[in-house]
Amino acid sequence: MAVHSERVQTQSPDSGKGAVATIETGAARGGGSGTPKKSARPADGRSLGSRFAPYLLLLPATVATLGLLGWPLLKTVLVSFQNLNARQLVQHLTEWNGFENYTEQLSDPEFWSVTGRSVAFTALNVFLIMVGGALVGLLLNRLGKKMRLLLSIGLLLAWAMPVVASTTVYTWLFETNFGVVNWLLDTLGWHSMAAYNWTGTQYSTFFVILLLLVWGSIPFVAFNMYAALTTIPKELYEAARMDGAGPVKIFTAVMFPNLKPFFLATTFLEVIWIFKAFTQIYAIKAGGPDGLTRTLPIHAFLEGSGRQHYGTGAAIAVLTILILGVLMAYYFRIILKQEDEL
Amino acid sequence: MRRSLIGRTWPNVIAVVLFVFFAFPVYWMISTAFKPTKDIVSKTPVFIPFEATLEHFKTAVNVPKFWTYTANSFIVTVLAVAISLVIATLASFAIARMRFRGRKTFVLVIMAAQMAPWEVMTIAVYLISRDNEMLNSLVPLTAFYMMMVLPFTIWTLRGFIAAVPKELEESAMVDGCTRTQAFVKVIFPLLAPGLMSTSLFGFITAWNEFPLVLIINKTDGQTLPLWLSSFQTAFGNDWGATMAASTLFALPVLILFVFLQRKAVGGLTDGAVKG
Amino acid sequence: MKRQLIAAVGVAAMVVGLAACGSDAKKDENNNASGNSSTAADGGKKDYSGKTLKVWLMTGSAPKGWDEAVKTEFETTYPGSKVEYQIQEWTGIGPKVTAALSEGSVDVLEIGNTQTAGYASTGGLLDITKDKAALGGADWAPNQSESAILDGKQYAAPWFVTNRVVSYNKDLWAKAGLTTTPKTLEEFYTALDKLKATQGVADPIYMPGQEWYVYFGLLTSEGGKLAKKEGDKWVGGLSSPEAQKAFDTYKKLQSYSVLGGKDKDEAKPQQKDIFGQGDIGSIIGLGWELPDEKAMAKDKIGFFPLPGKTADKPSGVFLGGSNLAIAQASKNSDMAKDFLKIALNDKNEGAVAASGLIPNKASLNDKVVGDFASAAKLASGVGGITPTHPNWASVENDPNPIKEFLTSALTGDYATAAKKADDEIAKRLNAKQ
Repeated sequence: MAVHSERVQTQSPDSGKGAVATIETGAARGGGSGTPKKSARPADGRSLGSRFAPYLLLLPATVATLGLLGWPLLKTVLVSFQNLNARQLVQHLTEWNGFENYTEQLSDPEFWSVTGRSVAFTALNVFLIMVGGALVGLLLNRLGKKMRLLLSIGLLLAWAMPVVASTTVYTWLFETNFGVVNWLLDTLGWHSMAAYNWTGTQYSTFFVILLLLVWGSIPFVAFNMYAALTTIPKELYEAARMDGAGPVKIFTAVMFPNLKPFFLATTFLEVIWIFKAFTQIYAIKAGGPDGLTRTLPIHAFLEGSGRQHYGTGAAIAVLTILILGVLMAYYFRIILKQEDEL
Repeated sequence: MRRSLIGRTWPNVIAVVLFVFFAFPVYWMISTAFKPTKDIVSKTPVFIPFEATLEHFKTAVNVPKFWTYTANSFIVTVLAVAISLVIATLASFAIARMRFRGRKTFVLVIMAAQMAPWEVMTIAVYLISRDNEMLNSLVPLTAFYMMMVLPFTIWTLRGFIAAVPKELEESAMVDGCTRTQAFVKVIFPLLAPGLMSTSLFGFITAWNEFPLVLIINKTDGQTLPLWLSSFQTAFGNDWGATMAASTLFALPVLILFVFLQRKAVGGLTDGAVKG
Repeated sequence: MKRQLIAAVGVAAMVVGLAACGSDAKKDENNNASGNSSTAADGGKKDYSGKTLKVWLMTGSAPKGWDEAVKTEFETTYPGSKVEYQIQEWTGIGPKVTAALSEGSVDVLEIGNTQTAGYASTGGLLDITKDKAALGGADWAPNQSESAILDGKQYAAPWFVTNRVVSYNKDLWAKAGLTTTPKTLEEFYTALDKLKATQGVADPIYMPGQEWYVYFGLLTSEGGKLAKKEGDKWVGGLSSPEAQKAFDTYKKLQSYSVLGGKDKDEAKPQQKDIFGQGDIGSIIGLGWELPDEKAMAKDKIGFFPLPGKTADKPSGVFLGGSNLAIAQASKNSDMAKDFLKIALNDKNEGAVAASGLIPNKASLNDKVVGDFASAAKLASGVGGITPTHPNWASVENDPNPIKEFLTSALTGDYATAAKKADDEIAKRLNAKQ
């Protein structure tokens, strides 16, 4: 049982991805010597029917994406060019105001400080998550069966906690008067923390949010790291050892090259997830104190839905998407390159 | 290789510390839910609820319409996940196994779609639902939740499909299977773990969703996250009831995790044996 | 495997089916509604049979049994009609109400009195100036009715208000040798000093720094306003001498609280729980802000209005409360008006008073019962509400500049804090609509 539950885990989201990437690179190396694209197709791909087959298969996904994502996105862009507040919403008025919402934001120092904060916050978080997750993954790989099961159960619990619930739990853990964290710090001798108000200052609030995000995200990375590690053939390690490689050398020469696809894919997802993190930040202190823990999604929500300046909110939303796109451009290039190689 | 005693012990010590770090919040949630209020609001924390009580669970469940919320949450989540799995399986097969014009564009769109900041698009979704008279119903909720998980599902399943050696499928076709049959008989069984893990992800996403349902379903079709959030405002710091509610809310996901984990293993070994 | 696929396809088909059913049902309902209203509109006869009135109430507002009593009375007066309640949570209520007003999915709704002007300015509320008399408007307490008036028009009927008083721990006060409740602020300070010197008293008064409703009351006593109109612009009023005087009183009161964090408000942590620990002399709070019966028996708690500088009247209070409004988009506006008539008649409004809230007319004040409400009643006459400005609700949005102002002024320089808050208030009030 022990082995089971934790193996399953490892087979979860990313093992596929890791494997894919390996196969892809394998294919690129092996068959890359000028194999024409068309000849790679299986023999049955000739009839008219199968030429349309991929499009038919993609049809539902395309329709859904256009209708359920494309439409709201378009609507968001349209709203961002409107003066849409409570009055216009109630009376179904459409008041176009050109780029006003955008110029207002782009000339607002708060927007820029929120943007800078979002980027820094994402970078720090993803760094901690990736390093922490990779280390936990390495540890999983090294542990004996029993301890591996124990740690896997802990990780699984943290991973399976719905965000809405875990955020509530963290608020309770860090509660000022009866929270167990303050009690612990006080008991350990740090008496000034006995009734410490964690959401009183920017950095302490960020600390709670950061811990919550790291706690909730490490399991995903760690399990995937472990899964990726298990795909590395044992012979490679042995060969490296026989060549006299130390642990560091083994990591850089054997593990890292094999783990590169894993790092790429996981970092990609974590950057997106952390940058977009909403519930955690919102529920802890609603971007407070004094708006100092606002990140872009929170800012868009508070300015838009919160103050009912929906046009402003939509403009921030569009800018958020653009900024995220810029941050992700590097990844898009890498992944598209992989697609080319396939 | 010889290792010192310390060298063998430290990974275990770290593992235990990490276990506590990851599991404690969950334990604390559950134990708080069972503790009588005097033990919750106490200067020295009570770590094990010897005098367990169900009082907080009663408070949590006795909120009007609790069962409607629960049913709605389940319907919406299960449907959203099921539909996205069907759509994603078709699409991911195409992009993993076929070469055609526009494939790269599609992959790019799917990747970009994962970045969609749904929380800030709520007003657009609201306007669309309102103008199409789809408010206070489970239909738009299901549809949009489905879309929230679709890109990730396609993206992940594509990896799983591509991981199945082409030779397996080809040999099935040599044996006289059509391509569809080959897919159903060869790839689909091997896909089970992928389906399981993506449905887990989908389940969590849809189960947790809050900002959208808050605005589009104000009278009917409300879901459990609303109930949980109303708790915090209505009961202030009745931490017992709030933790009981959180426990109930987390329970289905925890169960599903345990359950799907095993299934996923089963599916994987089945496929391997048959292959 | 095949079976699984088929099952999946089946599910998908079912969803399509459901969707179709859903939209059909909706359309039918709309047709019915419009059909009925046209028949009802021409005849002067009031026949609401077959019609359903949708009423939104806020959670915890209506006294126990009030909603059912009103529903029964309405449905017997107009046979065949139906009243349907929806209980709403306060979380995110602003956008929710706005959205509902835009949809026409609600007929009658309870709205916070400080938010009424905001909703009215969106055009979403029905102007009921003409119906005011029929609803008993001649007797409405002016300081309650005021909240529902925008540009001289009445957009809602006042329902009830409530205000804060001092709740005190009788045992501790007795222990401190206090036998009467103070009549002036000076007497109150003396009492607090005595409590402070009494053993077993952690805080003579528990008062976190961000109790801005208390500050608002003091400001009202001094004749100050949070904001006022100058020309065609609104400006914040915290830099005024009145505001400074009110703050001095506030600071003096707050200085008695050791436990009350200067950056905390009364809700987090809930002051009633702190009070319930039994070592707190007093708090300033609302009627429901009482500790658990288990923690502290009801008869251990006494109430008096926060005294004023002179004994002739208590300090001012913030009149928090609710109004009842009709949606402009309601297809049943006549029915809604008749509902309001019943909901606000002396019998039902009397029940509101009997539950410990201040009713909308002074003539019903003698129906007010309970220790808390009797104390609250004394101060309600000198109570006021926040400026009736369409954007007012946005000032109270997090981060509330008044709360931040209180924290900054308690810990730092008054003028700087006031200036910063005034700028923010002005910015929010003058924002585009």
